[in-house]
Amino acid sequence: MKPIKFTIADGITLNVISTRKFKTAQLAINFLVPLRRETAAKNSLLSAVLLRGTAKNPTIADISRKLQSLYAASIAQTNYKRGEVQVFGLYSNFIDSKYSLDGCDILGGTLGMMAEMLFDPYIIDGAFCEEYVEGEKSNLIDKINGRINNKNSYALTRCHEEMCRDEAFGLDILGSEETVKEITHLSLYEHHKEIIEKARIDVFYVGAESPEVILDKVKDMFSGINGRVPEPLSTNVKRSSDSVREIVEYDSVEQTKLSIGFRTGTVLSDSDYYKFSVFSEVYGSGTTSKLFMNVREKLSLCYYCQAVPEAQKGIMVVISGIEAEKYDAAREEILHQLDEVKNGNITDDEFDGAIESLCGDYMRIYDSPDMLEAWYIGRSLAGRCDSPEDAARMIKTVTKEDISEMAKKLTLDTIYTLKPNEEDK
Amino acid sequence: MTETRKIESALLDESYYVCTHKSGLEVYVYPKEMTSSYAIFATKYGSVDNRFKLEGDSDFTEVPDGIAHFLEHKLFETEEGEDTFQRYARTGASANAYTSFNQTAYLFSCTDNFYASLEILLDFVTKPYFTDENVKKEQGIIAQEIKMYDDNPGTNLFYGLMGALYEKNKIRTNIAGTVESISHITPEILYKCYNTFYSPSNMILSVCGNVDVERTMELVDKYIKTSEIKKIIRDYPTESPSVFCPRFEKTFSVAKPLFEIGIKDTEISLDPRERAKKNLAVDILNDMLFGKSGKLFNDLYGEGLISRGLGASFEHNLSFSFNAISSESSDPEAVFGRFCDHCEEVKKNGFSKEDFERIKKVIYADIVKSFDSTEEIATNIVWQRFNDCGIFDSVDIIPTIDYDYTKDVFDKLFVPSSYALSIIRNPEE
Repeated sequence: MKPIKFTIADGITLNVISTRKFKTAQLAINFLVPLRRETAAKNSLLSAVLLRGTAKNPTIADISRKLQSLYAASIAQTNYKRGEVQVFGLYSNFIDSKYSLDGCDILGGTLGMMAEMLFDPYIIDGAFCEEYVEGEKSNLIDKINGRINNKNSYALTRCHEEMCRDEAFGLDILGSEETVKEITHLSLYEHHKEIIEKARIDVFYVGAESPEVILDKVKDMFSGINGRVPEPLSTNVKRSSDSVREIVEYDSVEQTKLSIGFRTGTVLSDSDYYKFSVFSEVYGSGTTSKLFMNVREKLSLCYYCQAVPEAQKGIMVVISGIEAEKYDAAREEILHQLDEVKNGNITDDEFDGAIESLCGDYMRIYDSPDMLEAWYIGRSLAGRCDSPEDAARMIKTVTKEDISEMAKKLTLDTIYTLKPNEEDK
Repeated sequence: MTETRKIESALLDESYYVCTHKSGLEVYVYPKEMTSSYAIFATKYGSVDNRFKLEGDSDFTEVPDGIAHFLEHKLFETEEGEDTFQRYARTGASANAYTSFNQTAYLFSCTDNFYASLEILLDFVTKPYFTDENVKKEQGIIAQEIKMYDDNPGTNLFYGLMGALYEKNKIRTNIAGTVESISHITPEILYKCYNTFYSPSNMILSVCGNVDVERTMELVDKYIKTSEIKKIIRDYPTESPSVFCPRFEKTFSVAKPLFEIGIKDTEISLDPRERAKKNLAVDILNDMLFGKSGKLFNDLYGEGLISRGLGASFEHNLSFSFNAISSESSDPEAVFGRFCDHCEEVKKNGFSKEDFERIKKVIYADIVKSFDSTEEIATNIVWQRFNDCGIFDSVDIIPTIDYDYTKDVFDKLFVPSSYALSIIRNPEE
């Protein structure tokens, strides 16, 4: 199930995974651009405004009714970062026309709606509708401010921000309240044109239709677009940290959230990244990892404690939620377990468990169109094209020594703690 | 001794087998061509089942809040001392468990060695091992789990709403209990709950993926012992149709107030097919009245009163039933007012027949979509079975739902005395 790749125009590719495995299909149109302070908010806002109305279907109600009649086809926005690349755009999910009860062309209808959104949006006096743009600006600001609602993910994001405060990776894909406020319906419309001209566009389809049929439809969608020069994409990697910073913040939380950020010294584009994957599994992912087995099971210091790596940027954050008075014990144990891996103290169970578990994770990707797409986008940004199956094969060649070597490359960078307010008093 | 039936749906182009084991355990075997296979072993026992007795017992037993969830954590412990996750690690399965208001489930997903993993699942769930020491250890871990949820505004919003809707029903209480309630848990109480609810006739095994009946049943024969089938009598408190308290408010560090509107429903039919039909009718209503094609959402969104969609979901089973509509707003009270007005208008004038027919298609398509994952299929089988339904029933029921039936369900459900509003807002506001 490797994707078949077509070039539609300069900087526009189509990837098709044609499979009868699913009753639903999905098609995503992803814009890939450098993550920048000046454009992050505009990119986030753009998809939201495109979803508000098209020339033919000017309101959300119109679009929604149309999609409902296409058997609950959905079109939503995508927005995430991979390293210092912002990936945003539109994503659709719809059932195979075979299951339509009235012969409706679900694929054609859904792709038609996506094309309307992208190329025939709702325009007033040569720009986006001001009311829509202002409304979505205020929603985006709510989203930015709402990051604090989820304390666990907030503590992770804050650690990323502090670690990479002078690097593009530290930017929030949503932008900041200030950058959102500066956007007008006119500037956003200009930005839309620029994106169509300059962004790298990866279209991804997973479903039952043949590659030829999809190719025709996608070519139609992008017809007339040519001579594009997409911006190059890259991620600046700092292989090791120079010093350790500690950041403490307070909020009305019951539980202290601890995030320990490392530079990993290894990134996805390295030929030996697969060794790092096994290291990260042994140390901190899943239920047989050292962090789970020791910090949680043995010492019962927490409910969750895991390592979250960012493959493109070469960083990893260990996140946990702990009792305030057990803060030192937890922090010590998390670092101690890393030393254990560095010193080669890895049991056969831990080692075999990690390999088996990773293999399972890789193979499960084949059951999820979303995960397949995310996998190949990540790989292509790192200049690779190995499949999950290839990765599963590679990790079987990793040794315990390799894992220790990977661990030794880690350097501690930033320790971020979100503490309960009471302590402050 | 095992009886096997094949169940098919021509419309969905899907089929599975139901086997009734001599122990009373129902086993669902659903062959499906996917890379991963999934197994779930579940008991009809959740956080609301905390007053119960077995047929023939004179008195009801009342147990501390959070015990079903605590028991779920503790079953992973084995007498041999080997951690269950460690055993699964050798087969490469990814294992987990969860406890809801009315079920506890143990599950795994794997891409290889399915039967070896199934053996682990059947083995550890049927071999409880509780000691003072291992109970004490778990109290620390679960206390942190409870505190993690305490820090989640969504959890606070939801339980606030349940506390407003219900006076006595255990759904008011966090599934995990409180740090205080779990401190009263002992190995003896755990064994009592285990022996009551983990009997084969109160459980279901559901497997989906690269699986077959014969090999699955061989393992069931090996691990599931036959014992006397005793009826479990659960004592659920009776609730008045009106809400316990119409408002809940709590301060929390959130950017914008979060709100959830609840509608308490005490009209719960004993006929499972009628419950399933009503459930689907309310799904249609929720999508039609609060979804993105509806007037209420578009008015509120256009005016900036809400900044994202209105999430609506209906929970309908024998132990509780409520409809909930949530979002965030700078003025939840105003949204609530508009919600009430909108419902009154629908009561008076009805809804569009065209909208109704279109949304029926949506509900049908959502069901079709749920057959693309071994996890979703195996999980839905359990959920449906605990509600005395089959996984293909919904697609057959949808065509029987007409406008008049749905309007009648609406009129009975949307009664202002059964509305409650839960709000989480920032202390600075």
